[in-house]
Amino acid sequence: MRRLSLLFKQRSRSVLLAAVFVLFGTAAHAQGDAAKGEGIFKANCTTCHKIGTRVVGPALGPTITSETDDKWLTKWIENNQALIAAKDPKALAIYNQYNQAGMTVFGSLTDGDVANVLAYVRASWKTDPANPVNASKLPAVAPETGPGSLTIYALIAVIIIAFIIILVLNRVIGTLEKVLVKSEGILVTEAEVEAVPVDRFALIKKLAKNKKFVFFTLLVGTLALGSWTWVTMWHTNVHQGYQPEQPIHFPHDLHAGAMKIDCQYCHFGAYKSKNASIPPLNVCMNCHKTVKTESPEIHKIYDALGYDPTTQKYDSTKSHPIQWVRIHNLPDFVYFNHSQHVKVAGLKCQTCHGPVQEMKEVYQYSPLTMKWCIQCHKRTDVNMKGNAYYEKMEAVHDLIKAGKPVTEAAMGGIECGKCHY
Amino acid sequence: MDSNKKYWKGLEELDQTTEFVELNKHEFAEPIPIEDVLTGGGLMGKTPRRDFLKALGFGVGAVSLAACQPVPVHKSMPYLIKPEEITPGVANFYVSTYEGQAILVKTREGRPIKVEGNPNDLIGKGGLSARAQASVLDLYDINRLKNPVKNNGDYGWEQLDNFIKDELTAIKAGGKNIRLITSTITSPSTLAVIADFITAFPTAKHINYDAVSYTGIIQGNQNSFGKAVLPHYSFDNADVIVSFGADFLGTWISPVEFIRQYVQTRNNKSLEAKKMSRHIHFETGLSVTGSNADARIPIKPSEEGPALISLYNAISGKTLPGDASLTNNKVAANAIALAAKELVAAKGKALVIAGSNDVATQILVNAINSLLGSYGTTIDLDNPSHQFAGNDSEFTEFVAEMNRGEVDAVFFLDANPVYDYYKSKDVVSGLKKVRLSVSFSDHNDETANICTAVAPNHHYLESWGDDNALEGYYTILQPTINPVYDTRQAEHSLLVWSGSAAKDYYTYVRNNWDQKLLTIGGLTGQKGWETLLQTGFIKAAPKAAGSYSFTYALDSVSQKILDHSKALAAASGSVEFALYQTVALRDGKRANNPWLQELPDPVSKVTWDNYANVSPSDMKKWGYEDGDAVKIEANGYSITIPVLSQPGQAQGTISLAVGYGRTISGPVGDNVGKNTFPLYSLRNGTLQTSGVATLKPTGDNWPLAQTQTHHSIEGRNSIIKEATFKEYVKNPAARSGEEEDHKDYDLFWQKYEHPTYNWVMAIDLNACTGCGACVVACSAENNVPVVGKDEVRRRREMHWIRIDRYYSFDDNGDGGKTEEHEIANLDNFDNVRVVYQPMLCQHCDHAPCETVCPVLATVHSSEGLNHMAYNRCVGTRYCANNCPYKVRRFNWFNYWNDARFENYIQNDHTVLVLNPDVVTRFRGVMEKCSMCIQRIQAGKLKAKIEKRPLKDGDVKVACQQTCPANAIVMGDANDPNSEVSKALKSDRTYYVLEELGTQPGVGYQVKVRNITETEA
Repeated sequence: MRRLSLLFKQRSRSVLLAAVFVLFGTAAHAQGDAAKGEGIFKANCTTCHKIGTRVVGPALGPTITSETDDKWLTKWIENNQALIAAKDPKALAIYNQYNQAGMTVFGSLTDGDVANVLAYVRASWKTDPANPVNASKLPAVAPETGPGSLTIYALIAVIIIAFIIILVLNRVIGTLEKVLVKSEGILVTEAEVEAVPVDRFALIKKLAKNKKFVFFTLLVGTLALGSWTWVTMWHTNVHQGYQPEQPIHFPHDLHAGAMKIDCQYCHFGAYKSKNASIPPLNVCMNCHKTVKTESPEIHKIYDALGYDPTTQKYDSTKSHPIQWVRIHNLPDFVYFNHSQHVKVAGLKCQTCHGPVQEMKEVYQYSPLTMKWCIQCHKRTDVNMKGNAYYEKMEAVHDLIKAGKPVTEAAMGGIECGKCHY
Repeated sequence: MDSNKKYWKGLEELDQTTEFVELNKHEFAEPIPIEDVLTGGGLMGKTPRRDFLKALGFGVGAVSLAACQPVPVHKSMPYLIKPEEITPGVANFYVSTYEGQAILVKTREGRPIKVEGNPNDLIGKGGLSARAQASVLDLYDINRLKNPVKNNGDYGWEQLDNFIKDELTAIKAGGKNIRLITSTITSPSTLAVIADFITAFPTAKHINYDAVSYTGIIQGNQNSFGKAVLPHYSFDNADVIVSFGADFLGTWISPVEFIRQYVQTRNNKSLEAKKMSRHIHFETGLSVTGSNADARIPIKPSEEGPALISLYNAISGKTLPGDASLTNNKVAANAIALAAKELVAAKGKALVIAGSNDVATQILVNAINSLLGSYGTTIDLDNPSHQFAGNDSEFTEFVAEMNRGEVDAVFFLDANPVYDYYKSKDVVSGLKKVRLSVSFSDHNDETANICTAVAPNHHYLESWGDDNALEGYYTILQPTINPVYDTRQAEHSLLVWSGSAAKDYYTYVRNNWDQKLLTIGGLTGQKGWETLLQTGFIKAAPKAAGSYSFTYALDSVSQKILDHSKALAAASGSVEFALYQTVALRDGKRANNPWLQELPDPVSKVTWDNYANVSPSDMKKWGYEDGDAVKIEANGYSITIPVLSQPGQAQGTISLAVGYGRTISGPVGDNVGKNTFPLYSLRNGTLQTSGVATLKPTGDNWPLAQTQTHHSIEGRNSIIKEATFKEYVKNPAARSGEEEDHKDYDLFWQKYEHPTYNWVMAIDLNACTGCGACVVACSAENNVPVVGKDEVRRRREMHWIRIDRYYSFDDNGDGGKTEEHEIANLDNFDNVRVVYQPMLCQHCDHAPCETVCPVLATVHSSEGLNHMAYNRCVGTRYCANNCPYKVRRFNWFNYWNDARFENYIQNDHTVLVLNPDVVTRFRGVMEKCSMCIQRIQAGKLKAKIEKRPLKDGDVKVACQQTCPANAIVMGDANDPNSEVSKALKSDRTYYVLEELGTQPGVGYQVKVRNITETEA
């Protein structure tokens, strides 16, 4: 008996303890720490979720706020696959709604962690601008505009008025002076002045008779005009600095500069093709499916693809190509191959394209003239390290033996037919 | 000892006609009227100074304005979602099939731009014909049908399907006949689709109809051996080949394959092993094959039968009934005796073939081959060819059925009988009695035009499918582009109409392969299918050759042949004619292809026309001049056609090409030449290509556009070098000019170093058959414009590579002692020998063109190439004047945007075929062979990227790649082990006009002919 009561005591104690724990735990869930939750949310959830908008998964704010069964939510978040496997009707509905794309299983999260996350989500949903409750409560925030157009007009108006004032004042001063002169009787001298007419062109006439001066003027004139013509002709069809406006304001300084994305992540043709190629939009979508989804510029990509960010579906009937304006226009009769320069020679993109990582909008950095090509081919040593291709070339060996640098020109790289065919 | 043998490019040159002499003084056909300007009022009056100033002012102004122009805006549109396998700027290659031959299709950014041979292909081993090379242009032909057509009005697919299904249901209920007329189908899947169609409509029957048919051979084999097949021939196993009018290197059955086999026993490798086959050729008109033969004997069509009987008699020792003596042709009689002797000596390694479509003739040929033991060695009946299965009598019966009103529905797939059946009127009248006639033609053609409906088929580059040209050789077709127009594959249409369960034709092909064909090649499942799509074909183990004994009674055969001959023998006042196909157009189905129309005929060098070939002695006798239009009447049909003096044509005969005179084919092919198909006649159930005609001059002259007369060889004897096999065996360097002393002209020329590579070429004249595949391949690779008939006549053709055809008189193998003064007295033009020589820029080390260019637009490279910078050229044309090889071409017009030329490079669609790695040239610049520098550069770049040295064979130029004979080898002469270095080391190597000191980069190898002294 005693044994039995002891057993009961022990059991009851543990049961009690468990009950207390459970109670405590539930309370803790209900009161989860939103601050802690934020950290966990940002570390684990933001890849697929946002509070106010749908990304890969549903917008969590409304979803979690409307779902009150925290136990179920905890189970779902920790291991949604188990729920689906157990054919939980609610889980199955979500699973099917999202094209049977399973959510990641977060086995590492404790119940407490999940509670914190839920607290954070609910708290931030309350203040989220996407929340319709907030939308009705809050007055529309005026968009931040910087110096408004009104200010600029006002400034211009002020300047114009100032000018008018100056003009009027000048006029007044002139009239006053006249009045002053009249009253003092100085006007008499005017007749004298008219009597001796001054030849205003005298100096020019005098200079025109000076042959040295005429020669000098003509020489300078001819030289000036000539060199202007020369420079103009020389730069005909050279469009260095050309910076057209592009249909999408793509900031290279942000992508290549601040974000340090490799040029060839997008311009993948550069190392295997003659074209560096403008990236197809699927490359953009690798990131912009989730990054900066609200930007109007990104929405231009979505429009072109016929992509609907809310349903995450592509509609090819609505798609249309983006017409970028080509900046680097080599003439048709030149064959240029990117891979030769990027992959084989190992040149940096910036050698020809300039500091793209600093350009907000890209412009043509190099003149792209034949002179420019040839200069480089004459000056740059060929990068032969570790390339067995050059091993068999006697010419190269001879040059190395003689201690001379091996430039592209030395290998026939400035012959006409290498680029013109 | 150098040969004094005289070669000539054409009769004009031989006769030195005044016109030829006059034209030859000038480099270009129409001299610039500079003298008129200088002598006339030109410079004398007062206006030129003012005009000059005006022009100067305008010029300066214009240039200044041009300088002010803003940057031209070029739009650049990337893919929205890039297909994974495409990288812009990088070509993709896909395997496919062209007429049973495995090919590779080169695509750029998803559009096919060139067709290349699959190196593993059993038929061509990487070689392709001119027609295959040109086929890619048809894909973009703007004259293709762009949607279904009903009663010559546009229609939709769904409506068409409903209409045809309803009609077929009604016809099925009525129980009347349905006929499917196709040219020979070699695709197992297509045949299965047709079988399904026939199951669905039991009154349907499939009839193979070939415009140029081989029914004679098939029937002949049926009668001789009980096997109705087209045998597979092996010319490489034959030591002695005797052909009676079978143009096997040009048009007969499978020319690409036969060229490849034929040169096996004649190329450098074979010669070095002191082995060369012997080829004796009997024919009426001079064909490519005849011009390559060691001995060619002109015979009239009526003499062919007796010649064959004589040959049989001579070999068997028996005498067939009937008089088969060749009393009027001593040369032929002697040649037959000689051929018989040689054939018997080469028993087991001999081959006799005849081009005739006459069953009796083919039975006799079988008898001869049987005596010679050819079956199992040079002829294979167990692994036959499926390339032609046309049945003349079945089609003739079909036409009769139609006219009797027994046919309610007829479908034409790749068949155009209204144009190419000899009784076109019967087909037209018959079709009027047919309730439903449907054509699958992708163009509007003569037949489609009078059909109820047209369901346009895909081009083969847009299609799924398969092919089985040779027994056990299965190739796959896969689409390389989305359909360009709203067309649908014919097989798909048939599946829809027969209510098949297959979703589309791809699924059908796939199932067919999964179930039946993949296992033949030892492949299975998805993986096997993918392997197939990469390799392109499967090959079953060849069936063992059975032994065949010939037992057919020959007496009646001989009688039939002699009767036929008698019917052909022309009475006085008429001539015998023979019809032939040209290498480029064949049966004329693809007449709308400008590349093919502009490809000069290998022998006559005529472009854009057909004509009556007449022997030069007949021309004299009848008083004709080249181009005189004559009215030819035969079989109640008459055509007016220009005549052309053709050496080698049998006297008293004319030859006419079929495949011309299309009336509904598209703007390129319409009304080019005259239709000669109606001259066919039906005899003993097969269509015959010869007959009797009368000629009447009309008094008109229709000049022909020939390319051969454009240059002269100025009596030089270092252009063509030729030796006999006997001489070669004695001294491999015979006649290559080895013995001559060459003067070196290295006085003022800079010596060029070739430190990195030295690109050179070797061309084996003994392998080149003159087929012209290289010319079209070059056009496709290098964006060469098509100029049209008028411009060709003005000598302005743009081909970078041409095949020169040189005639010489038959010297009976005695060393070419025909002196010039003797030639004037010769009037027998029957026995001419022909040598073909591909001529392209020789990339001379001491190039005469380079020194005369005032703007240095053409300069030498350190890799031994002669570069041509188009953007630097100002068009003085000095270089062309100074080029001894006449290989430079001048752009007289902006062919890419001049409205006077309906050029393929200015049409919105066909322009897609251009090679994006090569520019199109502007008016006023010179162009020429670059030795495919784009391929050289690409090959080097590939090696650099892969960090390995450039290997021999990495770079293949377009002409070399397509050559079925492997006559052209290009490579690096700095590499002593390269194929080209080895080829150039051959004793036969010589350089054209090397005495000029130009040091050409292209070496030729002496033509060798297997001539025996015993020959008549």
